[in-house]
Amino acid sequence: MERNTQKNGLVNLVVGLIIFIAALAATVYVKSFTAQVAVIFLGLSVLVALMGWFQMRLEENERLEKLELDELAHGRGDSTLFAARDSEVFPARRSREQFEKYFVPGFSVLLLVFESAAAWIMWRWAGQPLSGFVPEHSMPALSLFAIFALVLFLVGRFSVTMVRLENSRLLRGSSSFLLAGAYVCMFTAVVIAGVEFKLAWADLWGARILCLLLALIAVEQLLTLLLEIYRPRIKGKIGRPLYDGRLVGLLAQPESLFTTAAQALDYQFGFKVSETWFYQLLQKNLLLLLLVQLAVLALSTCFVFVSPGEEAVLEHFGKRLPDPLLPGAHLKLPWPWDIAYHYQTERIQSLYVGFTPTEGKESRVILWSVPHDQEENFLVGGSQQTGVEKLEGDTNSIVKTPAVGLISVSIPVQYQITNVIDWAYYNSDPTNVLSEVASEQVVRFLAGEDLNQIMSAGRFEGGNYLRDQIQAAADERHLGAKITFVGLQDIHPPTKVAKDYESVIGARQTRLASNLLAQAEAVITNDTAVALAFSTNSAAESAKVQLETSAFARAALFTNQIPAFAAAPSVYKQRIYYQAFAQSTADARKYLLLVTNTHNVLIYNLEESIRSDLLLNNLKVPTPNETKP
Amino acid sequence: MKRNPLTILVSAVLAAIFIMLLFVFQVRQSEVALKTLFDKPNATYDKPGAYFKWPWPIEKVYKFDKRIQNFEDKFSQGYTTDNNNVITTTYIGWHISDAGLFFPKFSGSVHIAQNTLEDILRNAQNGVIGQHRLGDLVNTDPKALKFEQIEDEIKQRVQSQLEAHNYGIEVDFLGFKKIELPEAVTQSVFERMKQERQLLISKETYDGLRDATIIKAEADRQASELVANAQASAIRIKGEGEAAAAPTLKTFEQNPDLYIFLLRIDALKQSLGQRATLIFDDRTPPFDLFQSQALKTPGNP
Repeated sequence: MERNTQKNGLVNLVVGLIIFIAALAATVYVKSFTAQVAVIFLGLSVLVALMGWFQMRLEENERLEKLELDELAHGRGDSTLFAARDSEVFPARRSREQFEKYFVPGFSVLLLVFESAAAWIMWRWAGQPLSGFVPEHSMPALSLFAIFALVLFLVGRFSVTMVRLENSRLLRGSSSFLLAGAYVCMFTAVVIAGVEFKLAWADLWGARILCLLLALIAVEQLLTLLLEIYRPRIKGKIGRPLYDGRLVGLLAQPESLFTTAAQALDYQFGFKVSETWFYQLLQKNLLLLLLVQLAVLALSTCFVFVSPGEEAVLEHFGKRLPDPLLPGAHLKLPWPWDIAYHYQTERIQSLYVGFTPTEGKESRVILWSVPHDQEENFLVGGSQQTGVEKLEGDTNSIVKTPAVGLISVSIPVQYQITNVIDWAYYNSDPTNVLSEVASEQVVRFLAGEDLNQIMSAGRFEGGNYLRDQIQAAADERHLGAKITFVGLQDIHPPTKVAKDYESVIGARQTRLASNLLAQAEAVITNDTAVALAFSTNSAAESAKVQLETSAFARAALFTNQIPAFAAAPSVYKQRIYYQAFAQSTADARKYLLLVTNTHNVLIYNLEESIRSDLLLNNLKVPTPNETKP
Repeated sequence: MKRNPLTILVSAVLAAIFIMLLFVFQVRQSEVALKTLFDKPNATYDKPGAYFKWPWPIEKVYKFDKRIQNFEDKFSQGYTTDNNNVITTTYIGWHISDAGLFFPKFSGSVHIAQNTLEDILRNAQNGVIGQHRLGDLVNTDPKALKFEQIEDEIKQRVQSQLEAHNYGIEVDFLGFKKIELPEAVTQSVFERMKQERQLLISKETYDGLRDATIIKAEADRQASELVANAQASAIRIKGEGEAAAAPTLKTFEQNPDLYIFLLRIDALKQSLGQRATLIFDDRTPPFDLFQSQALKTPGNP
């Protein structure tokens, strides 16, 4: 029996090693992340199998040694031999003990480091954006990993049964690892199948799941090592090998969960739930249930449901049916014979030329001078030309290079898939082709346009022209798409020169303002002149009338004054004089100099204010004596 | 040991599926497949369907997408015949025309094929651009713009290179995805665009100043003209008044002394306003009364 166990251990080791090497080759062949992690797992199983087999060998040697000594002792009946020290008498046992005391913990620590490092490094590696997966090799790799899984499953299952029957603790570790390796290989095959069916993310996430598994095994290994330090050593009680992980055992034999669950249920309900017919049925037919589920899953692939707004292309053994499937339920052969590919044919889809939308950071205000989104600059024609003298051969000629400008455009292009067959089968990446076609047409259009023209009057026309051009190019490339809208709503000078454009508009407004101000001043000047002219004319008219009327009135007066004057010439003149004098000087300020000496003439400047010494209070009227010479 | 029949069944089904996968391969509508026998190509399948093959490693099947593949090359700087730098990037659509030729040339790798094609494309692109002027790429004159012609020339060069050496691929379309100027030139273009705007700003500013000055000067001229005309008219009107009043002068001629005296009296009245200050001595009538004997009453000296 013991020999059988050792043989099983060796089989486990050899099978594990062969599968490990084959899986390594398959991984190099397909370059899958998941396969790489799976190979690491298989490598661990080889190490554990090697350790288990080696330890089995030691125990076998010890057993043989003990048998040999027992026979010797029994034959001779001499006890002196046993008086010697154990290390001298039982070298095999001593070796085994030393091995278990130092080598097994050391190996377990190394295993922990290896598992942790592998989990960490592979997780980081699997996070890289580029995958080196070779899709062309996926089908052979899938088959190989499935075969590996099958072989490991058969060998592992047999080995696990042997462990249960013979209660071999040292075989349990390698058996569990082999069986778990079978599931890991199956998982890898499923992941590769996912990638084959265009689920590119499957490889990355598959690798991450296996990395997590490795990390969990490492954590369990660490806890086992820590607990081993405090484990009570009872003489004669043999502990579980440190490298024999419980988690791997659980993964390899999930049915052991039933035992644990049954015990928990029995305890909880107070009776043997695990002995009820339902529990027994469930336990016996679990595999059948899983198969039924798989059958249902396979059966579900016989139906294809095309949603509203969608069309589907059905391929039968890779050959497409002539007409696409319209919305509704359709029957088909199960996967992988018939495969349906769905496309959104009604939905208006968008792509963007000249900018990359910044999701969630849209500004409520879009200004030329404030960068918005991630805009690109395009070359645009200019109406001016710059003269560049260029020598062409022996002749001097002036080559006019057109002035080029730069412009920022944000052009959304909206489209709809109208011919799903063309869309699916002419181009491997029709969305990208449409994007590049749109970019080309925009570049070509702007290169022939004047900057100012396209920003103003040519905008609507430009949008329609671009739509027609992109549509024509898309038709030429059999894209099967209808361009529904091309918008030139956000087209402007680059942000760096936008301020200068605004300054021109400001200067134009300033010009208009100064023009208006000048016009206002002109209006004032002209109106004032008109008013002045009118008043001048009016004054002249009134002066004329006054002159006429007063002349005639004065003549009439004079006619009457002549007799009066003739009657008393001097009196009349005096009367007129004094009347006029009194009347005209009534309001005037008057100074009367009552002096005898009239030879001294005093001249005062009375245009300005009166000097204070001329005021009456200070003015001294000269006396006659003073004025006498 | 009793074996579970269900386990055997599951194992058998799984084995059957995987064995079938080893012996059968499927070619999709969009694919072309190349089968090799001990790594020697022996058959090409470009029709969709399921086909038999011996399992790996006897026969291997390489499947390629026969639809049009597309990629864009790197931005590369070129030099035009009129000594201008341009940076261009081109997109290209190509497909595998002969899988048997394609496979050995590129180890069946689309990625390697694209790298190879990119080199050929860049060479053709810069060569063709070097034969054209910047104005052929950017020009507001539609007749001078040779965008399409340049693209065709690049495509022909690439295609002829591919055909000459049996690459097993064909170019379907090709076009400029972006044309740019080098960074230093771009800055200069920005500067030129700014100066263009500055020119417009100066023009607007000084045109405005000119217009305002013209408007104001014109207004001043009109006002002066208007006032001058009004003054002339006023003089004329006053003259008319004088003429109309002239017949009355004969009346004054009857006694010119009296009339002159009356005129002086009027002049005196008009010349003495409220602010006038008069200084008289006592000989001025009527102030001479202060020294006149007539004021002296009897009894006073």
